[in-house]
Amino acid sequence: MTENPVTTTIAARPASTDTAALARAYREARARRAKRAGLLKHIFLILTSLIMIYPLIWMISASFKPDNQIFGSLSLWPQTFDWDNYGQGWNALSVSFTRFFLNSTLVTVLSVIGNVISCSFAGYAFARLEFTGKNIWFALMMMTLMVPYHVVLIPQYLLFLNLGWVNTYLPLIVPKFLAGEAFFIFLMIQFFRQLPRELDEAAMIDGCSPFKIYWAIIMPLSLPAMATAAIFSFIWTWEDFLGPLVYLNKVEDYTVPLALRMFLSQDGASQYGPMFAMSILSILPIFLFFIIFQRLIIRGIAMSGLK
Amino acid sequence: MRTTEGPYAMEKFFRRNFAGYAFLAPWLIGFFLLAIGPILASLWLSFTKYNIVRPPQWIGLDNYIYMFEFDDRFKKALQVTFSFVVISVPAKLIFALGVAMALDKGIRAIGWYRALFYLPSILGGSIAVAILWRQLFNYDGVVNSALRLVGLDGPYWLADPKYSLWTLIVLAVWQFGSPMLIFLAGLRAIPQELYEAAEIDAAGPVRKFFAITVPLLAPVIFFNLVLQMIEAFKSFSGAFIISGGSGAPLDSLLFFTVYLYDEAFSYLRMGYASALAWVLLLIIAAFTAIAFWTSKYWVHYENERG
Amino acid sequence: MSRLNRRTFMTKAGAAAGSVAVLSALGPQAFGQDKQVRHFWWGNPERDRRTFAVIDLYNSKNPGTVVSGETLGFDDYFTKLTTQIAGGNMPDVIQQGYGVLFEYIANGAVVPLDDYVGNSLDISKIDQSAIDAGTVDGKFYALSIGANSHMAIYNSRLFEAAGIVPGEDFDPYGYTYDDLARIGAQVKEATGVPGTDDNTADYQNFSDFIAQKGVKMFNPDGTYGATQEIVEEYWSIWQTIRDAGATPPGPESAGLAGVADLSQLGVVTGKSAMSYLWSNQLVGAQGLMEDTLGVAMYPNTPAMVPGSIVQPSQFICLTRDSVDPEAATAYMSAFVNDLDITAILGLERGIPSQVDVREALQPNLSPAEALSVEFFAGIQGKTAPLDPPPPSGSNEVEQTFERVAVSVLLGEKSIPEVATDFLAQAKAILARA
Repeated sequence: MTENPVTTTIAARPASTDTAALARAYREARARRAKRAGLLKHIFLILTSLIMIYPLIWMISASFKPDNQIFGSLSLWPQTFDWDNYGQGWNALSVSFTRFFLNSTLVTVLSVIGNVISCSFAGYAFARLEFTGKNIWFALMMMTLMVPYHVVLIPQYLLFLNLGWVNTYLPLIVPKFLAGEAFFIFLMIQFFRQLPRELDEAAMIDGCSPFKIYWAIIMPLSLPAMATAAIFSFIWTWEDFLGPLVYLNKVEDYTVPLALRMFLSQDGASQYGPMFAMSILSILPIFLFFIIFQRLIIRGIAMSGLK
Repeated sequence: MRTTEGPYAMEKFFRRNFAGYAFLAPWLIGFFLLAIGPILASLWLSFTKYNIVRPPQWIGLDNYIYMFEFDDRFKKALQVTFSFVVISVPAKLIFALGVAMALDKGIRAIGWYRALFYLPSILGGSIAVAILWRQLFNYDGVVNSALRLVGLDGPYWLADPKYSLWTLIVLAVWQFGSPMLIFLAGLRAIPQELYEAAEIDAAGPVRKFFAITVPLLAPVIFFNLVLQMIEAFKSFSGAFIISGGSGAPLDSLLFFTVYLYDEAFSYLRMGYASALAWVLLLIIAAFTAIAFWTSKYWVHYENERG
Repeated sequence: MSRLNRRTFMTKAGAAAGSVAVLSALGPQAFGQDKQVRHFWWGNPERDRRTFAVIDLYNSKNPGTVVSGETLGFDDYFTKLTTQIAGGNMPDVIQQGYGVLFEYIANGAVVPLDDYVGNSLDISKIDQSAIDAGTVDGKFYALSIGANSHMAIYNSRLFEAAGIVPGEDFDPYGYTYDDLARIGAQVKEATGVPGTDDNTADYQNFSDFIAQKGVKMFNPDGTYGATQEIVEEYWSIWQTIRDAGATPPGPESAGLAGVADLSQLGVVTGKSAMSYLWSNQLVGAQGLMEDTLGVAMYPNTPAMVPGSIVQPSQFICLTRDSVDPEAATAYMSAFVNDLDITAILGLERGIPSQVDVREALQPNLSPAEALSVEFFAGIQGKTAPLDPPPPSGSNEVEQTFERVAVSVLLGEKSIPEVATDFLAQAKAILARA
């Protein structure tokens, strides 16, 4: 059906009567069409990405404007470029952003490690191993995913208070090492179940223990899943503010998202420009982490030559 | 369970379970130490009157009775949340799958596209998004200007209860990054040879999609469906920041969790909020159970027996 | 849930608070004998900078006491405080706003200061009106750290362009809703920008209006004071102003109902020439604008019965969980009386309630600060007396008003219908609370 326009253009050309020329014309038209389609695809993708990044452009523009120009005008191009928002913003709060970035990095890196290891353990157990009570544990695991977070906030706070963990990073990190985020367990399960059974069955016959199978077969083959989990885990931990809000008391312990919220005020002078400037800087680590780890999603599969 | 005959059976039972429980151990410890306590505490609180300052008082089923008999905002919140789930989840998944497929094939600078498409999800529920959404959907904002170009007169998106939910649905679809990424990883796992074989059979793109992509991607589609559904039911920050925490206009953005948060933290009715939470939990559990039950018919893990 | 679990969760809070104290003692600055005071406030970068400077100064002036500061943005402040109430580990000294304070007092989260007055706490130079505002049932609970009142702010450039001269075309300290309709339409005609925000869904303006009608918002028995007639009249007045073309279209205003963000005010976004806020927000709003702001009271009826009140914008209070109330109240006392400390704080939280402090600050004010001092001079004698603390549930009534008023703005239902609906809901809320 899509061939029609091409054939009609060819037919309309009286000069090309011999078949060789016709074939050549056809090939050329096809190449042109492919090129045009490629171009169209690119134009489509570029347009779509513009819609996707418009907010970012707006934020970047706002980060260069003085506060009194951000809301009055719709213009994306600042009248004057105000680098001060970056310089001042970095030190605008009582503690420097250097500290907030270090705090966030500490919490996030440990959380990513904890999540990937502990959730892949649990995922492997659910996806590949047989044991008594598996279905019940699975259902309970899914249930933890469904509880609205705000309602367990206070009982959880009391629990961590009892453990003496409030005012430390422990409530933010320890649960990640104990597979506290069921999302990742479920993610691992679904990916592990796609891996060929024959591999671990063969290994089992060769006398490999489940631990060996996990380490030598499942882990390397699941790099895309691990990378996906690492990316999500990084972003969600980096952006989480409710946990740090509740468990950290001292400003010097705050993480970046919590610090960002200190720029705005209902009854005094907010600092929007510095807030946007620091927001831009705060998504840079996420962006870099994404760029690096998304390659693993692709390369992991290519290397393993799965199936 | 089979009858245990002496130490031999015990040992067999132990060995059968050892590896599974060893791998599950971190989760089990976390579950019993950190997760189950607060969850059960919230269940208990749902039968109490608890204003946080004073100790909880047991009031039996009163919270639940009030909810179903008198609370109109509860019903409104359910209705808003259902509408949101039913529209936003399929729209987001279709969009995410479409983009993932467009990005799967070799295009130049593909990594950058992926990163750009992921950007909206990185911005998440930040204050910048709230301000921005107002600018986009104001009466004289970007969206209506675009509509005017094609001769349409756009509505008051943010003020009119008939349209306000759509701004949130657009926001949800716009932040399609995580299902997209998961689809991408899933698409990568489909062997290329299958498509090549289909091409030799002169299968069109539509047939290839339904004959190869969908069945092989089913576990991932299923995952995204279940997770996005749960997330949509629990969706909070978008509605909270855009409606200024109130569900305005006229409760048209009163998502269930926004209502719950308001009850708990603005009016300090933690007992009632807990009851709301358990109703939501049961609803989500029911829908998830249905999803799992139907998955038997359309999700096949081809590497598994049965 | 088993009884054991229940007990574990609900009764160990006290012991747990102790363990937190042990934990925080591991912090850098603590020594065994030092008295510890935790001060928690909601802020902004400027307020945080000033308050931390105050804490440093106080600590150096008072060896033996270590005050530590904790701060968050306003949106997060009460979420955190709520979890800390549950945990029984609230900081010693907290900041409170006028409305929520009374819920905290009623529930016992904030404790009376009477035992410390005259000892560690000096209130001899604090305005009587400020003391009254922090007093409930004869007990003194809360120390005002800044006075506040309703304020209208207008864009001077737009008013000038429309040829409106404050003082001649309208009296900023005594103009009527009719005046507002007239000048609002005039601004719209001259500049294309509607002259005023639409206050149909603004509960603060409505509360002024109730007082202007000579009625109390809450009856002594705690029921709602506003009548069907008052609610209808209020919305009709704004309907008239809207119909005069003095406000943005109804649906435009409906989209902003309940949105408290200063960046969304009509004067800031350029969608109107006049907006309404609390006087201590003036400096913040001016900071988001290029044009200069002028100030006025809220509009009134021709009878000019005072409607706005002067009330503390913020208090500092002592919490139930304070470990060392003597040290905490001594710090609170310095916070409002010590001239070195109040010089650092300035007018950032509002106009101070201590007479010496006000005089000492006078020479060093910024233009916006000077404007708010001028405003307070202008409203002298034109404000209403402070009502007794509102009953529990008043907060929820306010949000209900903002919600239902949207139907009026959208023209979906008639004003009498919406008024009936609002009063029925208010009644139910107050009965339930």
